[in-house]
Amino acid sequence: MQTRSIKTKELSALLDQLRAAGVEIIAPARAPGVGRAVVYRRVSGFSDIIMGVQPRGTLKEHFLPASERILGWRRGGAHLELLEASTDCAPRIVLGAFPCDAAALEVVDAVMGWDYRDEFWFNRRQATIVVSIACDGGDESCFCHAVGLSPGSTRGADLMFVPVDGGFQVEVTTGRGQAWLEEHQEYFSEAGDSTQAVAFQERATTRSSQRPRPHMESIGRWLKNNFQHDYWDQLALRCHGCGACTMVCPTCHCFDLVDEPEGPEGGSRRRNWDTCQAATFTLHASGHNPRPGQGARYRQRILHKFSIYPARFHELLCTGCGRCSRVCSSGMDMLELLGEIHDMASITEPTTSPEARNEP
Amino acid sequence: MSNQAPSAARGPSADNATFEPRIVAFVCNWCTYTGADLAGTSRIQMASNVRILRLPCTGRIDPLFVMKAFERGADGIIVSGCHPGDCHYIVGNFHARRRFRVFRELLDFLGVDPERITFSWVSASEGGKWAQVVNDTTRRIREMGPMESWPRASTALDDDLHG
Amino acid sequence: MKELQDLARRLLLEGRVDIVIGYQQGPRGVRPSFVTRPEQADALIFDERCVHNLVTYLSPRRAHLAAWPRRAVVVKGCDTRAVAVLLRESHIDREDIVLIGLRCGGVHRSAEASGPLTAESVAFRCADCSIREPELVDHLLGDPRPAPPGNSRLAERIGQLESMSHEQRREFWNNEFSRCIRCHACRQVCPMCYCERCIADKTRPRWIESSAHLRGNTAWNMIRAMHLAGRCVGCGECGRACPVGIPLGLLNRKLAMVVDEHFDYRATDDPEVPGPLGSFRSDDAEEFIV
Repeated sequence: MQTRSIKTKELSALLDQLRAAGVEIIAPARAPGVGRAVVYRRVSGFSDIIMGVQPRGTLKEHFLPASERILGWRRGGAHLELLEASTDCAPRIVLGAFPCDAAALEVVDAVMGWDYRDEFWFNRRQATIVVSIACDGGDESCFCHAVGLSPGSTRGADLMFVPVDGGFQVEVTTGRGQAWLEEHQEYFSEAGDSTQAVAFQERATTRSSQRPRPHMESIGRWLKNNFQHDYWDQLALRCHGCGACTMVCPTCHCFDLVDEPEGPEGGSRRRNWDTCQAATFTLHASGHNPRPGQGARYRQRILHKFSIYPARFHELLCTGCGRCSRVCSSGMDMLELLGEIHDMASITEPTTSPEARNEP
Repeated sequence: MSNQAPSAARGPSADNATFEPRIVAFVCNWCTYTGADLAGTSRIQMASNVRILRLPCTGRIDPLFVMKAFERGADGIIVSGCHPGDCHYIVGNFHARRRFRVFRELLDFLGVDPERITFSWVSASEGGKWAQVVNDTTRRIREMGPMESWPRASTALDDDLHG
Repeated sequence: MKELQDLARRLLLEGRVDIVIGYQQGPRGVRPSFVTRPEQADALIFDERCVHNLVTYLSPRRAHLAAWPRRAVVVKGCDTRAVAVLLRESHIDREDIVLIGLRCGGVHRSAEASGPLTAESVAFRCADCSIREPELVDHLLGDPRPAPPGNSRLAERIGQLESMSHEQRREFWNNEFSRCIRCHACRQVCPMCYCERCIADKTRPRWIESSAHLRGNTAWNMIRAMHLAGRCVGCGECGRACPVGIPLGLLNRKLAMVVDEHFDYRATDDPEVPGPLGSFRSDDAEEFIV
């Protein structure tokens, strides 16, 4: 695959042209309202975009919305008419996806196409070109290097931009990305000198690799063997069960289906985000709850990410973005937790020394 | 829907002359409901826009009921019960008075005109007053026009809030 | 710091309590700490980053804390007002809890903040807080503290909103509520939201739609504000927990102003003062009633 470059001015012009052609542009930009946090949202042009800041919200909401109508019904006299919701998706481009967010799309593909092919998800996936931006190395909550990714990982991206003076170096990573670039090649120039881009990525890798590196295989084995362990209840003491961690997680994908009457004439079936951290997630109609406390619920989240999903789909349900730690109002920390489990696993499995956590 | 307002012209395009407001009245069993019954048996003429829901006491009228009514298409609301001191449960209406004070202020702060809600004391003997409350509320809501500031059931179908 | 750690250790050693809930340094700023063994007491700290209202861990809803029924909890002056509501509403027994009060000169809005308190960084609730020394406590620790720097941003923003038209206010709140993703983090962290089964989780009938559309979001945020009217102690944890940054404190503060103006009620650390919506005066004004 080839390497090219694009100047900021050209990128701005390209976005204008895409918009004019009816392509939706999703990029990191300030949300409307009081908080003004950076989120992935539809933008109208380059001036809205804030490149290189990890958005507070996840990219997933553009593929799996927090709430979406999947079916409708209307009463017509004696019979009921069912209205299929369209799964079509207009062409889109995501510009400035963080590597951890782009990779998450591919991770979640596995479950979305497993026993049932989710057309809402895959039609959006197919309609969307993902352009990621190389990360500068993240903060103390990041741990992409521990889950097989890196600040320069191109997984899930069709192209990746690396910031250089006056623009970006462009790495093409998929055939789709190649075709898209060729379609718009007048905006791109030759790659030129790559010194700056290489230096950027080296700095990022150095930063991220200084953080602890828990050993995911031994953590997976420990999880499998320690379903019953005092650790879980102790761990969950400070947890409010608010589920904000799952909401901002790029890989959490659990949903609830609800039927909402909208007056006597009809209604909608909707798919809404749900969270394993809520008691109602597993509450039976009888009143029995198989996950009665926050310890059991927190354990479920960790198990799903680092044991259940890997067993079924051969990869971790986590891209190390660190949002769960950043959003938690009571200071639960994923990297700390993985380190603790790593240490407990090292005691039972002497081959993995605690020191190994810090080896790159 | 059996209790639909008669040939109601609805929607933002309806001009106020032909607009027939849908008004839901939450009333207490002991005073206002009996008062409304008296208005009926006395054959007092009044607007036919009001649908009555009978509850034990104004103290049982949760602001949630009002929210749900707006959500499902009401343009105006009447909450009515016994005069202070006459509550069948002694203090229910005193509590309701405080609750609706707060609720009105909340609606106002959220940008919903609290004039959409009439709160009244109508006793079992005040059939005439009930007719007046109904007529005054209907006239006022007709002037205000259809409730447009509340997200209605029918408006959620095609939204895409998180795009 | 040392007197706090010593007290916690003593309470545990003497078997007075099963757990001490306080603050500790975490990977990202200060966070709640749960000390069940005397040797863990050294982790306890108290400083301007201790923004969390730990009284929420006394709420009977927290089933996973039931194994430690006798709890000591570190409280600031403002936090004791939440204790008072739980006592007033008979959700905790005073005998079951030990309250460790810390003298407080205000806290940062963020547990990750650093440096001294400034008018920029100070939590909104500290703006009009006059409780330097909590009274509803069993132990009072710490050095006397000066009053926090003033900050009137919350009041100013409410004033701005009040000066708008209904349409403008509706637009403002639609903008805010449309970002809500219905995680209910605001409820989960709230010390006053102790219901075993929240109205938003009830399905027969489904009063509050769970979908994150404007209709469901409006219903949820409205009923949350209503259920906290006259009960909210203004700790601001709801707004701090909100992952999408909805200024929930504005709604709560507005209703606190309403109950103050009409019912002469302000959040208090006196559990004997009845709640404004659980009480009444026969001569309450009723100019809005026909």
